Amino acid sequence: MRRLNSQTLILVGAILFVLYLAGVPLVMLLYGSIRSAPIGEPGAAFTLQNYVKAYFDKEFYFLLLNSIYYGIGTCALTFLIGTFLAWVSERTNTPLKKIFVVMSLIPFIIPGILSTISWILLLSPRIGLINIVVKELLRLESAPFNIYSMWGMIWAEAIHLYPLVFLLMSAAFRNMDTSLEEAALTAGSSTWQTFCRVTLPLMRPAMFSVLLINFIRGIEAFEVPALIGVPAKISVFTTKIFLAIHQFPSDFGLAGAYAVTLLAISTTGVLIYGRITRREERYATVTGKGYRPRVIDLGGWRYFTLGMSFLIFFLAVILPVFVLLWSSFIPYYGVPSRELMEKMTFANYHYILNYPLALTAFKNSFYLSVGSATLVMLLTSMIAWVTVKTKLPGRALLDNMTFIPIAMPGIVLGVSLIWVYLTLPIPIYGTIWVLLLAYITKFMPYGIRAASASMIQINKELEEASLTAGGTWFQTFRKVVLPLLMPGFTAGWIYISIIALRELSTSILLYSYNSTVLSIMAFDLWEGGQYTYVCALGVLMVLLLIAMAFTARKLGARIGIAN
Amino acid sequence: MAEKRDMVQIEALEKYFGEDKERVHVLKGVSLNIPEGSLYTFLGPSGCGKTTTLRCVAGLERPDGGRISIAGQTVFASGERVYVPTNKRPIGMVFQSYAIWPHMTVAENVAYPLTIQRRPKAEIKQRVVDVLKIVGLDGLEDRPAPKLSGGQQQRVAFARALINEPKVMLLDEPLSNLDARLRVQMRSEIKALQRRISITTIFVTHDQSEALAISDQIAVMHGGVLIEVGSPHQLYTRPKRRFTATFLGLTNLIEGKVLEVDGDGRPGKIQTKRGVLSFIPSTTLKKDQQAVISIRPENIPLHKEKPQGVDNVLEGTVKEAIFMGDAYQCKVAVGDDLLAVHTHPFISVNPGDKVYLHLDPASCNGLPADDRQGIDDSMLGD
Repeated sequence: MRRLNSQTLILVGAILFVLYLAGVPLVMLLYGSIRSAPIGEPGAAFTLQNYVKAYFDKEFYFLLLNSIYYGIGTCALTFLIGTFLAWVSERTNTPLKKIFVVMSLIPFIIPGILSTISWILLLSPRIGLINIVVKELLRLESAPFNIYSMWGMIWAEAIHLYPLVFLLMSAAFRNMDTSLEEAALTAGSSTWQTFCRVTLPLMRPAMFSVLLINFIRGIEAFEVPALIGVPAKISVFTTKIFLAIHQFPSDFGLAGAYAVTLLAISTTGVLIYGRITRREERYATVTGKGYRPRVIDLGGWRYFTLGMSFLIFFLAVILPVFVLLWSSFIPYYGVPSRELMEKMTFANYHYILNYPLALTAFKNSFYLSVGSATLVMLLTSMIAWVTVKTKLPGRALLDNMTFIPIAMPGIVLGVSLIWVYLTLPIPIYGTIWVLLLAYITKFMPYGIRAASASMIQINKELEEASLTAGGTWFQTFRKVVLPLLMPGFTAGWIYISIIALRELSTSILLYSYNSTVLSIMAFDLWEGGQYTYVCALGVLMVLLLIAMAFTARKLGARIGIAN
Repeated sequence: MAEKRDMVQIEALEKYFGEDKERVHVLKGVSLNIPEGSLYTFLGPSGCGKTTTLRCVAGLERPDGGRISIAGQTVFASGERVYVPTNKRPIGMVFQSYAIWPHMTVAENVAYPLTIQRRPKAEIKQRVVDVLKIVGLDGLEDRPAPKLSGGQQQRVAFARALINEPKVMLLDEPLSNLDARLRVQMRSEIKALQRRISITTIFVTHDQSEALAISDQIAVMHGGVLIEVGSPHQLYTRPKRRFTATFLGLTNLIEGKVLEVDGDGRPGKIQTKRGVLSFIPSTTLKKDQQAVISIRPENIPLHKEKPQGVDNVLEGTVKEAIFMGDAYQCKVAVGDDLLAVHTHPFISVNPGDKVYLHLDPASCNGLPADDRQGIDDSMLGD
């Protein structure tokens, strides 16, 4: 009876907390978008003028068109790159493919703002390294590439986003029962017929959901539109919201109206996505014993696929990393030359480390990253235990509520939280605590996914064995559940700490001088035109990320075994 | 009538899995011939290479050596670099998971082999109706594939494998995903179907009772090696190899050394710990060779009093007697050996009884003690 009570208590507590994190900002955003006056000012009334202003602006339709164009372009290009790599690594005998699996994931650890900056440094018509080199080589009049265009934006976004497609499509290739394809072969169809009639139709739901999730990510993206789109005068929703708040005076109402529109688009996408993936699970066929993936012998073509994979790796990793490293060691930005090489210096690093705000930013980013990852994983482990292991009514509601923030673009969450903490009498606006709450809200869905997945794998009998052996509920949780949960917990923790450290789109609306984080600092330095300093800061950020991921892995492995 | 030709011929088949250090030798020179129209079973414990052999016949695995021919056509020969791809081989295959495509209806699944050949629509339709009738699924043409029960899915898989009138049917453990009762039912249906259309069929299973019930011929495999081929009756009553004797059904083995034997199949004598016993050699044995006698529990009559005038009588004590309805399953201690004996249920036996076992020489199969030639010791767990 007491155990039941403690379960109920956890459930009710978790529901209230999650409601506060995910529900309150939503309500406040809707509320704010229909108020006539800025937050805090007296005499505000309910109105639709913000929406009228937003929708009857001719610019709105360019905005919508740009956003959709950008979303579609991004998702098509990431899909091509990611699926190609997944196919090469899962289903072909391309040499060295195992190395590519690891290397293709490197862009994931590079913060979006750095990857965007590196592509500007490579493809800007004025200072882009590639442009300068190609122009000299071919004796061209003008620069051949222009990053400040829709295609430039799509390229910069896609070359950074494709690892997600790679992971999802690899899983789809791997999880397909190969006997379905073998059955087609034994039925007399050629490899090509098998691909068209069996492989492709079976992969279609997975492919569609991957395309959809990338479209949503493209529409929500902030770094590339802010750094490339704004100077190129190509506006999308996220930058429009950002500018509405950053102009003077801020137009919170208009930002709210745009944010609600963006939220509606991404929520629709997420709902469709959820529908498809649920159907996909039902689509899954009964499979027999474990099967090895069917590997296609490419013959001589395997060197072609090897070359293509290497080209992608070169474009996605080597070039951006090189340009970041190179620029971080030179006094002014320029093409690598003997002259510049002789001037290589640590001055940029020296400057960054002595920059008054740098220490604060490093500390804030580190605390926020570690703190939000730990808190999210603890919270979601508990929620996952309730939703997976108990039969309490209301657990499905809790599960769904935890997922709400996945539909909230970072910039929308930022706008909502401004409304919340300027309205509610909780004095944390402008402090690091509001960022912490924002991060927890934003990353909760990732945490719950990792936690439930590993919780489901823990057989109920393993816990019951501990209980029958005389262990209390708490001992069982600590000695049995937690160690078994550790691999999933660590994986989730690493993922969240990484995306927390590079978070920009939410922080940029919520930070103040004292709560500056690294990505904001990079953004400000870039806006100030201090390219070489940004690159030095970027290199340090990436090193910090690698160190954190490495330590977490080590620690996780030790705890998992030690207990 | 002319002797039936061999539909499938496999010669010295070699296959390795994995690379470099993790390389595993899974087929070690397997050779066998499968007569036209027979139901031929590959039987063995998991990891013995039976499925791999089947997949080599299908062309889903590429062997590392040897030769395979189907209906007189060489489909694989390592020396001549011949390799006919799966889709060009005259085969139909039923997979363990059935591999019914979930994005198609029953009719679309079954019609597939004809559809990709672009046969006329009317012909396809007629063939689908015919073949669904054969497997007893008529009327379910438009049912989406995921809405089928396990037994129905299997029938669809059969129909799909049959529709193209292949020369050889390949069945990869097709019954293992069904529940016990359905398994027995489908077993006799497969047998009846195979008889009716007299199609050469290769059936892979690890279930010995399934193999005994269904096969014309069984190839027993172990550790990547073909152990023995024979009819179910032959293999059960007169196994030539120790592995066959122990893997098919339950048996007692008594070790010893051959004292006298001739080549005419007449009884020989063997020196064991329990004295000199008579046996029938089921394969060639030489004098002084280490050998075992294999005798099945149901072939050992149990007597309360010592039978007179017969050879091969052992004295023992009942250690365990479990009443199973159709028999008592006894464990009888003879010296430090424990023999399994199944007796008629009307003879009541109790633990502690002193009994006499009559090992009728006609039921005592003499086998070489060691059939490990060519088999890794590690793979022979017994």
